[in-house]
Amino acid sequence: MESHETVKPQPTPSAPPAAGTNDQTNGKDHAVLRIKDLHTYFYTVVGVAKALNGVTLDIPYGKVLGIVGESGCGKSVTALSAMQLVLPPGRIVKGEIILNRIRKQGNGFLVTDEVNITNLHPRGPIMRSIRGAEIAMIFQEPMTSLNPSYTVGNQIMEAILLHQDVSEQEARDRAIDILRRVELPNADAVVDRYPHQLSGGMRQRAMIAMALSCTPALLIADEPTTALDVTTEAEILELMRELQAQMGMTIAFITHNLGVVAQMCDEVAVMYLGRVVETAPVETIFYDPRHPYTAALLQSIPRIGSRTKKRLEPIRGVVPDPYANVPGCPFHDRCNAFMPGTCDVRVPALMPLPDSDHHEVRCFLHSDAYESENGYDG
Amino acid sequence: MTAEQSHDDNLLLDVKGLKTHFPIRKGLFRKVVGHVRAVDGVNLYLRKGDTLGLVGESGCGKTTTGRTIVRLLDPTAGTIRFNDPERGWVQLDSMGRKELAPIRRNIQMIFQDPFSSLNPRLTVKRIVAEPLVINGVASGDELNDRVAGLLKVVGLRPEYMSRYPHAFSGGQRQRLGIARALALNPRLIICDEPVSALDVSIQAQVLNLLEDLQTDFDLTYIFIAHDLSVVEHITNRMAVMYVGKLVELAPTDELYYSPMHPYSEALMAAVPIPDPRMRDRPIRLPGEVANPANPPSGCYFHPRCRYAESMCSQEEPQLRELAPDHWVSCHFAEQLTLRGVLDRGG
Repeated sequence: MESHETVKPQPTPSAPPAAGTNDQTNGKDHAVLRIKDLHTYFYTVVGVAKALNGVTLDIPYGKVLGIVGESGCGKSVTALSAMQLVLPPGRIVKGEIILNRIRKQGNGFLVTDEVNITNLHPRGPIMRSIRGAEIAMIFQEPMTSLNPSYTVGNQIMEAILLHQDVSEQEARDRAIDILRRVELPNADAVVDRYPHQLSGGMRQRAMIAMALSCTPALLIADEPTTALDVTTEAEILELMRELQAQMGMTIAFITHNLGVVAQMCDEVAVMYLGRVVETAPVETIFYDPRHPYTAALLQSIPRIGSRTKKRLEPIRGVVPDPYANVPGCPFHDRCNAFMPGTCDVRVPALMPLPDSDHHEVRCFLHSDAYESENGYDG
Repeated sequence: MTAEQSHDDNLLLDVKGLKTHFPIRKGLFRKVVGHVRAVDGVNLYLRKGDTLGLVGESGCGKTTTGRTIVRLLDPTAGTIRFNDPERGWVQLDSMGRKELAPIRRNIQMIFQDPFSSLNPRLTVKRIVAEPLVINGVASGDELNDRVAGLLKVVGLRPEYMSRYPHAFSGGQRQRLGIARALALNPRLIICDEPVSALDVSIQAQVLNLLEDLQTDFDLTYIFIAHDLSVVEHITNRMAVMYVGKLVELAPTDELYYSPMHPYSEALMAAVPIPDPRMRDRPIRLPGEVANPANPPSGCYFHPRCRYAESMCSQEEPQLRELAPDHWVSCHFAEQLTLRGVLDRGG
């Protein structure tokens, strides 16, 4: 499974351009991570839960991509798959996850190297060198993802020492430095504190510091503010935006909160039942959504400022469970634009809208293209 | 809150100076070494048909306030007066269990977590019927009919009566919790984060149901929540709490568009508005939320307040009515011009 390339935590400037030298600044050509037709299934005793059913998604370089959807839509499994952290009985059964190592050259970008993560062994040296160093992740609950028996500093230093050739003293200095960058007051003192001595907001800052300690090209944030109070949430979001701008980082921001998406993201991918159903720039998603699910989701949330107290329009029914084999488009039984004979027979393909800038929709209202007859393949 | 107001027939609940403290015990003899002042002076009133939003950060005492009002917890100080439809004004804070029992029919609660608030070993029928049985309201066929009726009211099929909670989704379970709360035809329902565990599309269904039930059954709600978009949608009045104290009590629109307390202002500036054209920087609150076991002197908010002056650390501000129905506890509320939720981009 392992390829023969040498272990490279960071793309070196002298590396030969292996995968073409596109220097167009078209976002599409500069995906840091390109996920193609990804299927991740969980083989449980009660059946096969098809958590991902053909996720196709580009995470554009230097942008914040929001991945939105309701619980069970596969947004977290997508992130875990990209990190090769899916545990048995879960398994990636099909598809590709390509990590593009990109560096800036003049006004354009240079893809120096590409790695197919799906081909790597989860515990092999290459995946280990990528995980944490090139792709880092922060989780929803900072208390459970920090180790309670080590100081914050120790945990950050561990990541630095693992991926970089520095002395322990240097690692500690870097840890303090990065704690300062996430605006923790008293970074010199916090570095020696244990997680339980910090408040929720401070813990999440420490988590971000740990994730950023090796300046990853891609940061995956899985509901990083869901457990926080609204004022702390706003501060953490602002911090992430600032750091993203300073460090030129790419962020995949997983959330169910459309308010957070609007405030935080440049691009949005909406997921439903293991598939991406629409991707577009954030303004387009909020002002010109084309997939009935996206539109329905926006109708169902209360909006501050619409002084006409109008009734919310809920989406009828519930999300089907992942064991069920829904024929056709997985949203058809809740959809207001349901077309019998079409939507319940074939699965629409994710297609770009003709006259738009990277706006893709998976719906027969916009394209007749379909990806498979009769629902679930595989 | 004045004398004539408390005799107002339109009032349903009048809470004054409510305090709920929890003792901190230490050592071999469990000596009381201090108190967590979870609720530390809350004044509020409810009119019939109100939906009062109770908001604030985690640990500010909103749930404790709710639970003390239904007397699941005993207050340390203060009065809770309730306008019972049969008995008139009664004082809940000093009542014993026996006296409370008949009044409790009129005050019910809906809980946050639809998974842990329903007994997994009981059928839906027994869960919803329990309040009716305990209070001796119905039995036999009549009980069956009542349960079936309640299930219909909350949008569940009566045929599901003999199933167990695990067979239901989160949204359906929350409907069961609502059916149980409605069983005794209460006047006041305290909803403690009723939709925070639900997905957005399901959240809308439950919010609509709560609104419909309010109209159909003349209900009054206290709606405890942290999602300020939901609170704005469903409430007509709001109470903002900070470290056990009520800092502002106002009609919802006034609180969102022209808050008068600096903490409310910071809350409003932090609301993530689902509109990418309305982005703004939040108001930074320096430091951490005060410890309710050892609160700061004067105004509890002063160490984090950007408008604080020396007076704020010495004198505790009182809750004052600065506009009709708009109560604020801030020394400088009249002088400050604060930003509302839509004043962004500044």
